Amino acid sequence: MGYIAEGFATAIKLLVRGDPETYSAVFTTLRISSISIMAALVIGIPLGFLLGYYQFPGKRQIHAVVDTLLALPTVVVGLFVYVLISRRGPLGRLGLLFTIPGIGIAQTILILPIVIALIATAVSNLDVRFRRTVLTLGAGKKRTAVTALYESRYGVIAAAIAAYGRAIGEVGVSMMIGGNIKWHTRTITTAIALETGKGQFAMGIALGLVLLLFAFVINWILQIIKRKI
Amino acid sequence: MNNPILYEIKDLKRSNGESFVLDIPYLKIEQGTSYGIVGPNGSGKSTLLRILAFIDKQDEGTIRFNRDVLSDDSAETNEDRIKGSTVTMLLQETYLLKRSVFENIAYGLRVRGIRNNIQERVHESLRMVGLDPVAFVHRKWSELSGGEAQRIALAARLVLKPAVLILDEPTASVDRESAQHIKETIGEVRRKYKTTIIIATHDLIWLHEVSDEIMKMHEGRLMGSAEENFIAGAWSPAPDGLWSTRLSDGQCIVALRPAGEQHIALLDPANIIITTERPNHVSAQNILSGRLMHMYTFEHSERVRLDVQVSNLSLICSITRKAARLLDLLPGMNVWVVFKASSLQWQ
Amino acid sequence: MQKLCAAFFLLLLAGALALFPVTGFAEEPVLRMATTTSTDNTGLLDYLAPVFQRDAGIELQWVAVGTGKALALGMNCDVDILMVHAPSAEMKFVNDGYGTDRREIMYNDFVIIGPRTDPAGIKGKSVDDALNRILKKGAFFASRGDDSGTNKKETSLWKAAGLGIPDRQNWYIQTGQGMLATITIAEERDAYTLTDRGTYIKYEVNNGGNPPLIILVEGDEGLKNQYSVIAVNREKCPSVKYGYALKFIEWITSDKTQKLIGNFTMLGKKLFIPNAR
Repeated sequence: MGYIAEGFATAIKLLVRGDPETYSAVFTTLRISSISIMAALVIGIPLGFLLGYYQFPGKRQIHAVVDTLLALPTVVVGLFVYVLISRRGPLGRLGLLFTIPGIGIAQTILILPIVIALIATAVSNLDVRFRRTVLTLGAGKKRTAVTALYESRYGVIAAAIAAYGRAIGEVGVSMMIGGNIKWHTRTITTAIALETGKGQFAMGIALGLVLLLFAFVINWILQIIKRKI
Repeated sequence: MNNPILYEIKDLKRSNGESFVLDIPYLKIEQGTSYGIVGPNGSGKSTLLRILAFIDKQDEGTIRFNRDVLSDDSAETNEDRIKGSTVTMLLQETYLLKRSVFENIAYGLRVRGIRNNIQERVHESLRMVGLDPVAFVHRKWSELSGGEAQRIALAARLVLKPAVLILDEPTASVDRESAQHIKETIGEVRRKYKTTIIIATHDLIWLHEVSDEIMKMHEGRLMGSAEENFIAGAWSPAPDGLWSTRLSDGQCIVALRPAGEQHIALLDPANIIITTERPNHVSAQNILSGRLMHMYTFEHSERVRLDVQVSNLSLICSITRKAARLLDLLPGMNVWVVFKASSLQWQ
Repeated sequence: MQKLCAAFFLLLLAGALALFPVTGFAEEPVLRMATTTSTDNTGLLDYLAPVFQRDAGIELQWVAVGTGKALALGMNCDVDILMVHAPSAEMKFVNDGYGTDRREIMYNDFVIIGPRTDPAGIKGKSVDDALNRILKKGAFFASRGDDSGTNKKETSLWKAAGLGIPDRQNWYIQTGQGMLATITIAEERDAYTLTDRGTYIKYEVNNGGNPPLIILVEGDEGLKNQYSVIAVNREKCPSVKYGYALKFIEWITSDKTQKLIGNFTMLGKKLFIPNAR
């Protein structure tokens, strides 16, 4: 129990004193997750929409596969991407290992299934009466599809929130691809792993609380956006 | 009525794989008229309405709409079908888009690329359905009662100044007062925009006050005006070349032999005679005991309509006001229904 | 609808901005090193890196992983230089052609710790003797079981004592985790374990100077923990910064740096003995 109380105190100290290592980790986390959520939404919204909206052979099977990918362990994704971008690997020439863009790309792969699966579900859960209604108001095929996406917007936001949570809370990918290099690729989560590995549990908890605070702020903003649209 | 023909339908068929959901050899809809369709659930009313609204397609047959022929060619899209004239339908279950009332109503305008005067037109529509624009325009879809939601849905269609307005069970889930409002709105729409109205409903009383012509539907077929009785059932041969059917309380109806396979008999309400005492010497073969359930009068008519329950059969009878007064008729009374075997026409 | 599009573009912008600071890709020279977690945990590199930067103008960046992974990173050309402490594995690495210019730089030692009650009676004994007693007694022994430098050292000690490497015996606990985690588990189970002195010092301090597990065997020649640096072979890995790696090896074996290493303390205690030749 002492760890938790100590953790709280340490967290406040780190934030208020502007501890450079902590803030470096926070900004690194922020940068990486911005890349990954942006890429995952840009790629995932159209794909998720197509999967949910249209009927085609194999639709249910593809949906099941995507849902399965939600259970991918982060370390496995990290390993998979490592094999790709290691110097020895096919994309080695890009020099992405141990860099922020490298982690961003790997994290995108990690959270893309979340975005696709949740958006596909949201779109396919659209009320049956929806299509008939917009038809009676004169909407053509294209217009109906666009309106369908807008009608599912709350599901899209839910998908974004879930994906973002997974992104900033994961450690397997960041560790594998980032290497936890101080000042460069150390994120809050890899820093937590490091501290707990060193036995500095209170510090680990403190950083964990910082992460939660960070996540809370982001979600607060998303809630405001949700009310506006 | 010599209005131009808006819809002309020939040999329209729609099946669900096993049987025909719709089988209409001929139907014409004149512009500016208000039509009502009554019939039990599953009789195909909604399907017909959807086909008339061009959100569903027929399997066989042709529809001529506004001088354009629309076949069952599956390559045609729904936009192709409408081609200029606005046909819109109010669905049985109200569905509003997840946005403000204003945006819901403006949606149809935006779809058509109309950008001018949107606010004016939206307000106008709200007034037509009896809702205060200022109070409602900014409300969200989730902040409305069932009745309000339906009126918003209706407003969304009126804003298009439609040539044809189709309504599927508009009074099914509303109270008397709202049904009255809808009636008035329909009247205003007809006056302002000369809209053709097609309504499917169970509410016959309400329908009478709203439509010029009423059709009955039964198992995918249109049975002419709703002022006909039809007697379906097991008809079997009887002595003297007649055919008869047995009602559940044991009474029998006799008719002349049917021409072919059909076993549905039609009986014009005007051919039914009502007495309050069992007649003794009369030439008609059908003398049935029943109970008067409802009486209706209509604004511009000399006639009174009676709904009489004879065993398991509901019969519509039509007599003059004078006759009704003379007989001192009141709902709840036991009456006798008399008609000739030859009055029964075969469908 | 327009609001949605605006939000979307803002999102794209945010993501794009996130990339920019990073595309100032290593304008200053960077030397990438793979080392072990226990090395990193001593804090030695945090102490040496700024000095190296000043002296050579090269930024040292390092990833701290298990020994096996460090060697793998070297084999895959993902790092330029290694600093590890697993001599036989290092030899193999060099002999297989993956590394060059191996230089020993310093050593510290391992100790065998255990409960104060010392159920197997190993206190003060030699390593061989102690392990034999543990096996005979069937006393609990916690192993890292993760192929790390410490783990490799441990298995070599069992072998050197003429005993087979334990595996399924129920007194042999393979934790598969780092040193501190393994010590914690040993504490729970009242077990013996092999640890580097640096981690033990930390453990001691965390327990306010009075830890449940104490040093029972130390000083034995077999317990020496030798650290070396190895440059990744530029013939196998042409993209590797061989020049920087050489500079670092030169620097860390220089008298000046060796003295720095000797003076390095962790929690007030000296940890390393420089022995570059």
